Amino acid sequence: MSNVIPKSNPVSNSTPRIAIIGCGAITQSYYLPALARNPAVLINTTLVDNEETQLQKLAQSYKVKRTCKDYRQILDEVDGVILALPTALHSSIGVECLSRGIHVLCEKPLAENAVKARLMVEAAKKSGALLAANYLGRITPHFLQVRQFLAEQSFGRLLSINYMVGEVFNWPTISGFYFKDDKSSRGILRDRGAHVVDHICWWLGGKPRLISSVNDSFGGSEAVAEVNFEYQGCAGQIRLNWFVDIPSRFIVECEQATIEGEVYDYHRLWIKKSGRTSEIQLKSVTKTQIDIADKIITNFLDGIRYGEQPIIPGEDVLNSIEFVDECYQNATRFNMPWYSFAEVQNV
Amino acid sequence: MSDKNVTLVTGAGGFIGGWLAETLYLKGGTQVRAGVHSWPGATRPARFPMDIVLCDMMNLQQVNQSMDGVKCVIHCARGADHEIAQGARNLLEAASRHGVERFVHVSTTEVFGNQTGKIDDTFPCQSMGDPYGDGKIEAEEICREYNRKGLPVVIIRPPIVYGPFSKIFTVNIASKLMSGNWGLYQGVADGICNLVYASDLVSGIIQASKCKAAIGETFILNGHELITWNQYFQKFNNALGLPELKVFKSETLKLTTTIKEPIRSIMKYMRYRFEHQLKSIAAKQRQARQIMKFVENRMKTTPRVHDLHLFGRQVTYQDDKARDILGYQPTVTLEEGLRLSAHWLEQVGLVNSLQTTRSDYPKVELISNPL
Repeated sequence: MSNVIPKSNPVSNSTPRIAIIGCGAITQSYYLPALARNPAVLINTTLVDNEETQLQKLAQSYKVKRTCKDYRQILDEVDGVILALPTALHSSIGVECLSRGIHVLCEKPLAENAVKARLMVEAAKKSGALLAANYLGRITPHFLQVRQFLAEQSFGRLLSINYMVGEVFNWPTISGFYFKDDKSSRGILRDRGAHVVDHICWWLGGKPRLISSVNDSFGGSEAVAEVNFEYQGCAGQIRLNWFVDIPSRFIVECEQATIEGEVYDYHRLWIKKSGRTSEIQLKSVTKTQIDIADKIITNFLDGIRYGEQPIIPGEDVLNSIEFVDECYQNATRFNMPWYSFAEVQNV
Repeated sequence: MSDKNVTLVTGAGGFIGGWLAETLYLKGGTQVRAGVHSWPGATRPARFPMDIVLCDMMNLQQVNQSMDGVKCVIHCARGADHEIAQGARNLLEAASRHGVERFVHVSTTEVFGNQTGKIDDTFPCQSMGDPYGDGKIEAEEICREYNRKGLPVVIIRPPIVYGPFSKIFTVNIASKLMSGNWGLYQGVADGICNLVYASDLVSGIIQASKCKAAIGETFILNGHELITWNQYFQKFNNALGLPELKVFKSETLKLTTTIKEPIRSIMKYMRYRFEHQLKSIAAKQRQARQIMKFVENRMKTTPRVHDLHLFGRQVTYQDDKARDILGYQPTVTLEEGLRLSAHWLEQVGLVNSLQTTRSDYPKVELISNPL
């Protein structure tokens, strides 16, 4: 470590040098459009991917001058990295960067399991580098408002949470890592569920107790999952599916009122109280996913520059990752009578 | 006899291809290779630890790579209408060069066009000027051309296929029934609904992939029982436990459907041309958003002119040849098929989804959010 320059201290007012490691769909549709709002940073950004065609395509689209196929070659030249890789690579590369004092903003989920996520958190603590996580739901106005209602007990004690997400999987994944045996860290629960479970842990202020976990996996990546949980008298259910588009929404029931929200309608909540339903419109400058990405990235850059703390520190999402691990460890398979073959019993 | 034992299923991310890949995997005896057009299509087969490959039928490199070690191809991929014929040719050509021992092409009864009565495989195809049907007719011709060249090809013509994972005839029909806008259409939906349950169809396709006498032949595979479209709606509605369906008279329905048709076309154009602007208006104005949602929902949950033609068609597709040669025997009754469909719809959350409590918006409160 003798030649490592710790970057845990603010790097001065100069523009931070960052690299985006991984040039797949999330970099193309989320990180780069947000970074494009900050040309001074973009010009100092290095794009890293071992897939040359995609790398050059993005570099040309966003006029990024520096590209590299192997992230190891640029670690001495950057202050921070955005990890936008298949989940199974987050921890090893994240720990390598953090140990060298390089700040990390990591795409969700932070790691493929809690053990590996904790290695990242420990590495960050040891070197003093920042570890931020992109769990974007935490800065959307309606999720924030629910959190505030619950923290302030605005409607009395929390009784139940029901959260349902159903959308045909159409994420334009380029590597297809979700579905490859050697690269997948499993299906919808690890992917879409990472956000859902994180919201719930964040709203509750702790990790719930798992009651049951069922999914449709036959050894591969599950596409339908149902989880039941309990936390200090609050009962909860999560239902996720990648096959059918259904209204994705959450219902949070408290003693005096019920709060309803649509997952993708960031600026509205409905409160049902004493038989009447009222709509709350949330005023916020955060309108789109790119606005959210902009906030997360700006916060990360301010962390590098001025030592500002991450909006979502890596450590804060450990509860949700642990809970998802428990869901997998205790999962049983749905009853699916349409597979009426005797062979199913052996799979 | 070669030692190759891979079955390539193209379109394995789709409804029929997905059923085939899963069934072959679960039954064992062959190594399944699930070919998908792009990675999002792998969602369904990836639940099983099976070999999944990118196999866009218009991408010759992918098609060739997918054929490595393949003994049997079951071609279920559809692609865009204009790609149906060329895609089939690409696969047939690659299969020929790789010495594939059986090529099963999944076509459709739509190749018969608007012909009515009792139709069997000896009937000629009829072009309706519909790109999908015409593409399938051309693809069948190409299959026969390759069969003559020595590739053992079988053609399967399924009619209306339903069951878990079906978007068109299960998810969409259930959504229409659940909307409360759908109903029974007297004098309109009294045509024959040639329904076959997915696993019955898949059994027939697998039999066709093994039966020596099937080579060079074309087979219709129909379902367990014949019913009308109105009966299908009624029985599906019952299986979902929904309230009684409304009854629509044919004169009114034909008139309203015809009137709505230009509105549908305008909406389609507007959506294509001004999607961004419409979304922006919807995001800013609550009333505009509600009107857009209402109109969109109405259009989705009421019949189109095309639907009326389909629902009124008096045609029965005869599958006697498949029963004689393949030993095909559909076993799933409509009642059982609908029970399984309803169960699946409940599991994915379409039935018993989180119901909103809001029916009106008497009060609007504004809260400023720091972010």
